[in-house]
Formats: sequence, structure tokens, C-alpha cells
Amino acid sequence: MSEREPPDPLARLGERIDKARAQHAPRQAAVGDRSALQQGIGFGFRIGIELVVAIGLATALGWAIDHWLGTRPWGIIVLFFLGVAAGMLNVYRAVSGISTPVGYRRPGEERAGKQAGQDPWDDDEN
Amino acid sequence: MAIELRPLEQFTIERIIPIHIGGLDVSYTNAALMMTIAVVFVTALMVLATRSAALVPRRWQSVAEMLYEFVADMVDSNIGQGGREFFPFVFTLFTFILFANLLGMIPFSYTTTSQIIVTFALAAVVFILVTAIGIIQHGFHFLSLFVPHGVPKFLLLLLVPIELLSYFIRPFTLSIRLFANMLAGHTMLAIFGGFAASIGVFAFFPVGINVLLVGLEFLVAVLQAYVFAILTCLYLNEAVHLH
Repeated sequence: MSEREPPDPLARLGERIDKARAQHAPRQAAVGDRSALQQGIGFGFRIGIELVVAIGLATALGWAIDHWLGTRPWGIIVLFFLGVAAGMLNVYRAVSGISTPVGYRRPGEERAGKQAGQDPWDDDEN
Repeated sequence: MAIELRPLEQFTIERIIPIHIGGLDVSYTNAALMMTIAVVFVTALMVLATRSAALVPRRWQSVAEMLYEFVADMVDSNIGQGGREFFPFVFTLFTFILFANLLGMIPFSYTTTSQIIVTFALAAVVFILVTAIGIIQHGFHFLSLFVPHGVPKFLLLLLVPIELLSYFIRPFTLSIRLFANMLAGHTMLAIFGGFAASIGVFAFFPVGINVLLVGLEFLVAVLQAYVFAILTCLYLNEAVHLH
């Protein structure tokens, strides 16, 4: 980045962009904070309804099963508790690792896809 | 001075062009009109913005690029390898919901996403797609999703139904979340608006609250589109990278 001029005008432009980026680094960090906040809000909105719907739907399903099979009140009782369990499981999963899928796998245990496909779209940066 | 408070009136469906095929009512309604407008807006934005694409983007082009990069980032970081194939799907879903939500914020327009059948149809498409992709890519092995490993056999009797339930509940949580947020928000706006109309001098209070609420509603409109899209990504990730 001294007086030596790179032969290619595009390379020169690249250098200038890098320099400008370096100056703006602190501001970019602040932007990162804001997107973290955004994700947090999105996350909160997400799990709020998870438990309610799980319980409600399972109970309704239990009621329907009772209605069809005449097993009142067992279907509604069993499915209510299953619904509570499923709802809590969903919330637990969402909280313990945002992308933890169904099945008892810890986040980061074998996420092969994450590292391999890190930046395949980043073609405008360099 | 009697002003009727009917905050739910805004959600009524009206037939614009009545169409009946067989015994089915497939009329073109105000909800369908708003969906059409949303699709036209999205298409127009993407087509017009990229028509005269320049290296240094101008206003509309940079809007389109921001949208693109936002969704691309989301798909990338949540699905990872093999995620690019689903980019068009997630992008379509995100932009459609975003525009439907935001168009609903225009006074006297109609919020399509406040109809549960609309959101449920969207969620059902996601659910069926995710399940189909899981089965196509992994065959019978896909069912191992419901069998947590490292668990004693007798516990499976209890855990498999729970896993099944938490899987099949997804289209419902996905659709109810979006629908309930839009419905509740718009109802609240209408209620406070109705207060303002009926209490005369003290109207500044509900109007003030409404000003704040409109801001909140814009946040919710964008956020719910984001949440819908990111959950789609997470579900797709799970179907593509089975453990």
C-alpha cells in the first residue's frame, strides 16, 4: 500500500476498498450487534407459540380420537401429556441450539454441512 | 354519536368476481387480489431492478441485491452444503410473505396472511416438500429421524410418539404463528382506532398508542416473514443432512 502502483486498475481499486473497510471496521461491529438483536427478537417470537400450539393441537387430536373410538377420556389424557412433552421438547431444542433438529443430537456434534459450504456465494467480495 | 366498534370487519372476505365451478366456490376475492398484487410487486421489483444492471447498483437494484443477499446468507448459514438448490424456494416464500405483510399495512388494503388457510397452505407446502426431500434423499432411513439413539428400548415406546408429534406439529406452529401475529396486530390497531373515534377530546391517547403500534406492526410484518423463512431453512437443513 505504498507509492508502488499495482499495474491493474482493478487491483488498485481493491486496495483502496480494503483500506476503507479497515477504517469502518468498528462501525461494522455495531451493525453485527444489531443483527444479533434482530435474531434474538425473531427467536423470541418463534418459541413463544411453540408450546401453546403443541399442547392445543395434541389435546384436540386426543379429543378427536376419543370421539371416533369412544375411548373417552383416555385419548385426551394421554395426548395432552404427549403434547406437553412435545412442546417442551421443541422449546428445549430451540433454546439449547437454534438449529438442533428432531432427535437427540447436540448442536455441533456432526454438522458436516456447515463448514464445507461456508462461503459458496461470496463471489462479490473478492 | 354511535360509532360501532367492529375490529374484525377488516378480515371479511368479499367476492370480487364470483366464479363457481361445479359445486365449488372459487371466486376471485379481495384476499386473492392482494396476493396477486404482492406477486406482481415482487416480480416487478426483481425484473425492473435487474433490467439495467450496473456494476455500481442504483437505488432499486441495490434493494433487490439486499433482498437477494439477505436470503442467500440465510440459506447459506442454515442449510450449508446443498442449500443453494433451495434458494429459489426460500426466496419466493420470503418475498411473498414479506410483501403480503407489508401491503397489509397500507390503510384500507387487506392482509392476506391474516387468513389461516393462506398461511396453512404455505406451511403445508413447506412441510410436504421437507418430508418429500427427506424421503427422496435418504429413503427409508429418513424414519430414523424419529428414533433418538442411545436410549433404552422401553423408553422408545414413549419417545417415538413424542418425536412424531413434534414433527407433525410443525405445519401448525408455522402457520399459526404467522396468522396469529398478523390477526392480533391488525385487530389491536382497529380497536385503538375505534377508541379514538368514540371518545372525542381524549382521542390523543389511543392515537398516540396507535402510532407506536404501527411501528411495532411493521417490525412484526418483517420479522414474521423472516421467521417463516428461517424455519423453512432449518427444516430443510434437517431433511438434507440427516444425522
